[in-house]
Amino acid sequence: MKLSRLNSLRRVQSGELIMKLPDDHDDSKRPQFPPDSTSYKIIDEIGIGVSAVVYKAICIPMNSAVVAIKAIDLDRSRADFDDIRREAKILSLLSHPNILNAHCSFTVDRRLWVVMPFMSAGSLQSIISSSFPDGLPEPCIAVVLREILHALSYLHDQGHLHRDIKAGNILIDSNGSVKLADFGVSASIFEANSKQGVSISPLSTSMMLKEVAGTPYWMAPEVIHSHNGYSLKADIWSFGITALELAHGRPPLSHLPPSKSLLLKITRRFRFSDYENHRNCKNKNKFSKGFKELVASCLDQEPSRRPCAEKLLKHPFFKNCKGPDLLVKTILQGLPSVEERFKLGKLQRLPSMKTEEDEEEEELEKEIIKQRRISGWNFNEDGLELDPVFPGENCEEECSIIEEKGSGDLSEWCSGMSDLSSPVGNERGGGGGGGEEEVVDRESIVGGLVALKRSLDEQRRAVGSLIELIEGEKGGEMSREEQMGRLMEKMTKELENERKRNFELEMELEFLRLQISAAYNNNNNNNNNNNNNNNNNNNNGGGGASTAINN
Amino acid sequence: MKSLFKPKPRTPVDVVRQTRDLLIYTDRNPDTKDTKREEKQMLELSKNVRELKSILYGNSESEPVAEACAQLTQEFFRENTLRLLIKCLPKLNLETRKDATQVVANLQRQQVQSRLIASDYLEANIDLMDILVAGYENTEMALHYGAMLRECIRHQSVAKYVLESQHMKKFFDYIQLPNFDIAADAAATFKELLTRHKSTVAEFLSKNYDWFFAEYNSKLLESTNYITRRQAVKLLGDILLDRSNSAVMTRYVSSRENLRILMNLLRESSKSIQLEAFHVFKLFVANQNKPADIVGILVANRSKLLRLFADFKTDKEDEQFEADKAHVVREIAALEPKGP
Repeated sequence: MKLSRLNSLRRVQSGELIMKLPDDHDDSKRPQFPPDSTSYKIIDEIGIGVSAVVYKAICIPMNSAVVAIKAIDLDRSRADFDDIRREAKILSLLSHPNILNAHCSFTVDRRLWVVMPFMSAGSLQSIISSSFPDGLPEPCIAVVLREILHALSYLHDQGHLHRDIKAGNILIDSNGSVKLADFGVSASIFEANSKQGVSISPLSTSMMLKEVAGTPYWMAPEVIHSHNGYSLKADIWSFGITALELAHGRPPLSHLPPSKSLLLKITRRFRFSDYENHRNCKNKNKFSKGFKELVASCLDQEPSRRPCAEKLLKHPFFKNCKGPDLLVKTILQGLPSVEERFKLGKLQRLPSMKTEEDEEEEELEKEIIKQRRISGWNFNEDGLELDPVFPGENCEEECSIIEEKGSGDLSEWCSGMSDLSSPVGNERGGGGGGGEEEVVDRESIVGGLVALKRSLDEQRRAVGSLIELIEGEKGGEMSREEQMGRLMEKMTKELENERKRNFELEMELEFLRLQISAAYNNNNNNNNNNNNNNNNNNNNGGGGASTAINN
Repeated sequence: MKSLFKPKPRTPVDVVRQTRDLLIYTDRNPDTKDTKREEKQMLELSKNVRELKSILYGNSESEPVAEACAQLTQEFFRENTLRLLIKCLPKLNLETRKDATQVVANLQRQQVQSRLIASDYLEANIDLMDILVAGYENTEMALHYGAMLRECIRHQSVAKYVLESQHMKKFFDYIQLPNFDIAADAAATFKELLTRHKSTVAEFLSKNYDWFFAEYNSKLLESTNYITRRQAVKLLGDILLDRSNSAVMTRYVSSRENLRILMNLLRESSKSIQLEAFHVFKLFVANQNKPADIVGILVANRSKLLRLFADFKTDKEDEQFEADKAHVVREIAALEPKGP
């Protein structure tokens, strides 16, 4: 350990030397982070996946710079080590303002630590699920999409496919900068070239990959039917789906077969029901023509007709596009921190994670993607929707696939996290500011409070199910006798309650009867004073009862 | 070059020549302070390297043309362009380094009149491999030089040179460098060296058996680094199971020390390592001429081994594995201590 620390110190020093060389460019200006775990101090957990955890940490020898560390369990991750090597290599060799690359990576026992810049606002997916469940405002979408296109244009120019573009892989920093992250399934058409000995022209349209990878909802049809091969244009499709995701708050998913469990599972993850409610009334005129056109062009069934990233950047939709400040003003204000969102999300995920068969999930993951079939996609430009069409059969299976892939995804540091707004912080900020600021802040406070209320409700539900879960587990440990005892107790209580209620109802009934008969008697008395002994008798008896109740 | 008229499109040969001139300039001018002129030259060089890449790989508008590729390759290797490029690589910016790496990779596969002229060139300039291998010691350059190296050892003669050079020993350390990306790249090259050219590998292993496996065992299989052990035991399986290395395999599985190491790996808590170790361990058991001390160890540990294999399962169903396991269990159960 001592030795490695020394080594790392030396490396830092040499890094500084390199930085001073005049003819070294962008790459070497990057400070060199030490590749040993003793230099880092973990502060908090901010994301979790099947075989990886993401931490917020500080790098002590680098002025305690805040970093994110993705710790990948190498023993649990799938056998092919080359994938991990490729990811590490891509991460070290990419250099673009819109791509999240690694400071360094090294192994710590069975884990691979990938040290990356900390993107304080987390993933867009978590931001959306926390504060914008119905999607982002269009000007913000424009900013995000433009930044992502810059990243894609760079990646594609280098012959890399990202293969997993989605809001969960788009990270935002406190200054509003947008970065594309996670190259876990990315591929280089150059490497595929050398491996499979296909064509020798990877940058041309004829270069094809044949492996299935990515996350189902965002996957292009030709990736799904991957026997035909696919190319850079598959990323453009996923980009289009991501645009829809940003606009609606979730990836497109309508017209699914009404299988009960299917609906249930999807609702849990994507709040399908909300989507159903809103889509008919709201979306028709919510989005500009330019936006709809842009998305439509990306979602062309025919890959060759989809424009390349470079060309998309020239689309009129981006003409009056604002800078990243817009994101700071509109999206980041009042947003709960990544850590808070993660903690809440973890609480919520816990019960559902327990019910799934986690271990199977992981192993099935790869096979399953191959099994999943979506027979087609219909893009409805007017409503800005995309309807995947599943074949009628196997829908349960397909759905569980989607679930599994989703929860197994390491990339989404902050996936499924929900919101815990911090109105207290907001109020303080507002109180300190001037008059105008206060007005703006008040609005955001109201927004924050609404979000908080929603999140508290969700939290209550989550805690409820957690309690249920824990109680359930306790139940398993208790002896049978104890269980029976508890059950009897509960039932006795219920019986008692039932009796009480029954008695009350009887009394009420009696009371009503008396009232009716009293009214009847009054009538009768008015009409016919001397009549009906029976009625009088009833009256007397009833009168006694009614006083008893009233007393 | 400057003309009032539209400049003629440059031929592939022109691009190579201009690249070479710019490289010569860059090579001769170490760190002058005339930054403006230098920047311009560097920009020009970057453009040219990119142009080379797009001739070789094609671009979004056009496919590569075989004739143009052949001309480029011929001109490139006619003079010492590759040496210049490798030497100047540290002075280029990141994007140009990557382009250059891809150009060099592609050139290794270009045939001119059905001959891989890159191979001829490298045979005559084999010392370039020394620069590329040493690249692993330079954090900045390792991934670029490493990628080039892996492409160059596609040529059998080049791989043979590297295998038999003193560099081979250094790989045992490179594989364990702290930076994972570099260590993993070195491991990939190491694996390529030991698996690609069968006859060369077999010859190398039998000539260098003693030192090679001594290092392999102590530095890799018994490394404290999890990932090193995991990769090493996997590669060992690949090497020993290759038919062309059968002589080496027979020798390896007759050693009591080797068996001890493999049995320790079988006991690891890591499933992946256990599984890979099994694929090597089974060779010790399957050996028809087991030395007495090997039999002795297996017999002494019989009950422990059988217990281990009883709970030994792969995550996925694997018929071959189950068959192998059944075979190993039968063999061990039937073993009789040999000799006096």
